[in-house]
Amino acid sequence: MLKGKGIKVIVSMIGLDGHTTGGEIVARVLRDAGFEVIYLGATQTPEMILQAAIQEDVDVIGISSHASNYLQIEYLVELLRKNGMADVPVICGGNIPKHVANQLKGRGVAEVFPPGSPSSDIVGYIVENARGARRRSA
Amino acid sequence: MKRETDYGYALKSVYGPEDVAGFDYSRDLNDPGGYPYTRGYYPEGYRSRMWTQRMTAGLGTSVDANKVLKKYRDMGQVGGICVISDRVFSDCIDPDHPLGRREAGVLGWPGCSLLEFEEMMEDIPLTGQSITLLGSSAPSTLRLAYVVALAQKRGIDPSKIHGSVMESPFENYFGQTDVSPFDLNLKLFLDASEYVLRNKIRMRASIISQHFQESGGNSAQALAVNLSMVKEICGRLVNERGLDFDTTSLLPYELVSIGTRFFEEIAKMRALRRMYARMAREEFGAKTEKACQLLMAVHTSGRTMTYQQPLNNIARCAIQTLAGVIGGCSALDNATLDNAHSEPSALAARMSLNTQHIVAYESGAADVVDPLAGSYFVEALTNQVEEEGYKIYNEIQSMGGMVAALKRGFIQEMLSAEAAKKFREIDNKERLVVGVNHLVIPPEDDFEIPIQEVHSQDSEKIADRMAQWKPTRDQALLNATIAQLYADARKDDRFNLMPSIIEAVKAYATVGEVMGVIRKGRGLSYDPFEMIECPFTFE
Repeated sequence: MLKGKGIKVIVSMIGLDGHTTGGEIVARVLRDAGFEVIYLGATQTPEMILQAAIQEDVDVIGISSHASNYLQIEYLVELLRKNGMADVPVICGGNIPKHVANQLKGRGVAEVFPPGSPSSDIVGYIVENARGARRRSA
Repeated sequence: MKRETDYGYALKSVYGPEDVAGFDYSRDLNDPGGYPYTRGYYPEGYRSRMWTQRMTAGLGTSVDANKVLKKYRDMGQVGGICVISDRVFSDCIDPDHPLGRREAGVLGWPGCSLLEFEEMMEDIPLTGQSITLLGSSAPSTLRLAYVVALAQKRGIDPSKIHGSVMESPFENYFGQTDVSPFDLNLKLFLDASEYVLRNKIRMRASIISQHFQESGGNSAQALAVNLSMVKEICGRLVNERGLDFDTTSLLPYELVSIGTRFFEEIAKMRALRRMYARMAREEFGAKTEKACQLLMAVHTSGRTMTYQQPLNNIARCAIQTLAGVIGGCSALDNATLDNAHSEPSALAARMSLNTQHIVAYESGAADVVDPLAGSYFVEALTNQVEEEGYKIYNEIQSMGGMVAALKRGFIQEMLSAEAAKKFREIDNKERLVVGVNHLVIPPEDDFEIPIQEVHSQDSEKIADRMAQWKPTRDQALLNATIAQLYADARKDDRFNLMPSIIEAVKAYATVGEVMGVIRKGRGLSYDPFEMIECPFTFE
C-alpha cells in the first residue's frame, strides 16, 4: 500500500550542516512509502531550498538538522510565506532540543520529529498534512 | 528479537572448544606486545600506559572554548585536549562570509585563523599532552599550520608536540560532508601527512571508521573500510611521495566507534589489531615491530544515545566505555547522555568523563591486559568478524582499492543499504532499544535534563570581529605569502603546499583566504559557494 503516492517532498539539510545520514534514511523511507522525493543533500541555503520548492512544486519540505543554526529553519519558513507558499508545511527531524522544537513550532514549523521516531508516524503525518491533503482525501 | 551480530552472524546460546577449533595461541593471539598484537601492544597494558581520558570541546567563541578546556583540565582531563570545529571552519570559509555569518561558532570551535587558535590555547600547554583537533578533512593543513606556527611563536620545537590534527578525506562519504572536492582534500591530506613525517612531528592523522559505523555501517564492513583506507593512504605516501612504509606507519591512528553490543565491539578491536599487523607485514613488508601497530582511539557511539529517557544513556555509555577499555584503546572520548538533544551540557560532559574514571580506577578492568582472551565466545567472534571483514576487504581491493571503490559507488551503496537495514530493524522491533521501541513511556513522564544553550547570536559577533580584524593585519606580509601560495598551488599535485600554507597562516591569512587561493590556483572558484570574490590580485 503506497500511502505517499502523488505527494512530492523535499528532503534537505540546511546551511552548512554536513551530517547527511538521517536525511538519507528518511528519504529512503519516504520513497519506499510511495512519495516522490527530491533529495537536495548537504550545503543548501534557505534560498536554494525555496528555489527548489518553487521549481519542483513540492507539497512538503523536510529538513534534517544535526548541527545547523535553527534560525535558518525559521528563515526558510519566512521565505516560503513571502513567496506565497505558506501552504507548504516545513517539518524537521534530528537532534533538536525540546525548547527549540517548541519555538520552531511557534514560528511556523509544522512538526518536529525527534530521533527514534517510527517511520509510520512520519509517513502518517505527511499524508495528512501535505499541501492539498484535504483536496486529495475529498 | 534478532539474536545475531550486526553483520548477520547468528549467535549460539553457548560456546565451547569446538567453536575455536584449530586455535593456535602464538599464531592467533600471542602475548600482549607480540605480533600479531591481538592482545594489544603493551606487555603491561594500561599499567604501563593509561589511556587518554578526554572529552570533546568546542562551542561559541575561541575564548569560550578556552574556558571549557581549562574546566576539563580541572575535572581530571590532563592527557590531552580534543576540540571539534564548527561547520564554517569545516567548510573552509570565514565567519564574515555571508553563509559563515549565520553559523560561526554555533556547533563547534570557529577556528578560522591563527588568532582563534592562539585565543583558544591561551595558558594551555602545547606539549605534555596530546593536541587533537577534529572537524573535517578539508582544513587539515590549516590545523597543522596553527600548531606549527604557535609552537614556533612559543619557542617550542614542533617535533616535541604530539596529537592529531589531520583527518582522512574519506569521511566525506560517510555522512560527514564538507564542500571541498575529494581530489583536493586527498592532495592536501597527503601534503600535511608528508610534512609531519619528513619533519618528524609526532602528529597522527585520523582514519575514521567511526563515521562509517555511526552512519549505519556494520562491524565487518567497518574493519574492511578501515584497512582499505589505511592501505590507500600509506600506499600513496609510499608510491607517490617516496616515503618508506615503516615511516608512513607512524601516521595513521584509527578512531573506532564502540556501541552497546559489548562482546562484538571487543572482538572488533582485537580483530583490527591482528588484521592491520598482517597487512603491514605481508602487504607492505613492514620491518619494525612498531610499523605493525595501529594506534586505536575510541569514541563511544553517539548514534546509540537516545532522545527518549536520556538518563538511560548513562548506562549505555558505561557499557561502551568498558568495552572500549577491555578492547584495548590508547584514548577514549565519550558520547554524552544528551547527544540526541543538543551539544553536551557541563553536567553531561562531567558524567561521561567520570564514567571513564570509574572504569579506570574502580572496575579493575585496567589491571589485567586483554582479560577476555581465551573465552570461547570472544575468540569465535574475533575470528568471525575478521573473516567477514576480509571478504569485503578483498572485494574492495579487487576493484583497485578504496578510492576506486568509492568512484564506483560501491562503498556508498554498501553503507546506504546497511543504514536502511538498521533503521528497519528498529522500526520493526527486530532490535530492541529501551525507551524507543520497547518499554516506552509517555513523553510527559520523561525526565527533563539540562540542555546546553546554543547562542545563535554568537555567529554575528564572531563574524563582526573577523571583519574588523582583517584590515589590521600586516597587509604587505599577507599579500606576499598569499602570492607565494598561489604560485605554488599552480604547480603539480605532488608539490607540497604545507610550507607556503604555514607562512600564510603565520601572516594571519584566514582559512577562507588560504583555501580560496589554493582553489583559484587549481582553476576552481575562490569561494566554494560562489558568493564572494577573491580579495587578492595576482600578476
